[in-house]
Amino acid sequence: MSGLAVRGSMVKPLLATLFLIALALGVAAFLVHRNQSLPDSNSSLGSSASGLDFKPVVTPKGWTKGNPAAKTVLVEFGDYQCSACGAARQTVANVLKNHESELMLVFKQYPMESIHRNSMIAAQAAEAAGRQFKFWEMHDLLFLHQRDWGDVPDPQTFFLRYAEELHLDLERFKQDLWDGKIRDKIYRDILEGQLASARSVPTFYLNGSLMPRAQGDAQFEEIIADAIKKAK
Amino acid sequence: MSKRLLLGGVLVGLAFVGMIDSSYVGLSSLQGFVVPCEIAGGCEQVLNSPYSRISGVSIAWIGFVFYGWVTACAILTVFGFPRWLQFSLGANIPAFAFTLYLLYVQAFVLRAFCDYCLLSALLVTLILGFHLFAKPWKSAS
Repeated sequence: MSGLAVRGSMVKPLLATLFLIALALGVAAFLVHRNQSLPDSNSSLGSSASGLDFKPVVTPKGWTKGNPAAKTVLVEFGDYQCSACGAARQTVANVLKNHESELMLVFKQYPMESIHRNSMIAAQAAEAAGRQFKFWEMHDLLFLHQRDWGDVPDPQTFFLRYAEELHLDLERFKQDLWDGKIRDKIYRDILEGQLASARSVPTFYLNGSLMPRAQGDAQFEEIIADAIKKAK
Repeated sequence: MSKRLLLGGVLVGLAFVGMIDSSYVGLSSLQGFVVPCEIAGGCEQVLNSPYSRISGVSIAWIGFVFYGWVTACAILTVFGFPRWLQFSLGANIPAFAFTLYLLYVQAFVLRAFCDYCLLSALLVTLILGFHLFAKPWKSAS
């Protein structure tokens, strides 16, 4: 009898527990939903693509590496201040090395300025170096040293040092760094990413479709190798 | 009496925050995006790393189960069943050890920290502290 009474008196605490678990899940789901509805960057080009009735297209326009005639195209939306993008650099480089003749890599700028304050000017630096045919060299330096310039108030000093290291024309680099056309180009990349629903960085598109997130380098390689095999 | 209520209440509060924290990360992971970090700045690296998942499932859900269990035990304590604190302490000790391992991974392997993981580490430590303060093993004897 007393055992039954104890069990009976445990109903209330268990109901209270279930209520709190449901409440916590509800709060978390609300926060996730709110996070998803926020615009992904500080760009003034509008917010998400929800409500649009056309299929967004990820174009292979941008900075390319690998075989430009390859049937398999990997598009990366990246942010130079994002540590995961820095880590992905080597993974992508390895995949490209393994499939150089069958794969084309396209890099698009996707600076998430709302969480990475120096990401926009870093993208500008890479584009400015690109005008002097040193995009990929600057791209690598920015990722390699992202911890140095990531949170400093004046990252430009670092970018000038990298430009010097790459033997760029410094006067031209300084001018290009703030060129409106370069910023327009970056905003076009951001808009394309937003329309394609890229919500985090790095986001990869393989032959125009969102690539599933790989768990580690081996799975990344496997997904690419599989796509190459199918494209043959 | 009041000590039991106070301890139970504090533990419920901490575990409730823990459930929100872990399910926020877990649900975001199910949605396929990484929550941004405002303070530590390493969420992308930590939450994208292979250490963040076990068999493809975000380890945030392990945290969620732990906090749910602590909530249940703490509520039972508030309702007059203080023996249940022994069971939450039983879960708290391995949880604390796992937390130390995850802190080690963040500090020395990934060299990046995520806000939500640090908050969870703080909560697990505080919950352990309150358990040790409550000495639930005494009520068993």
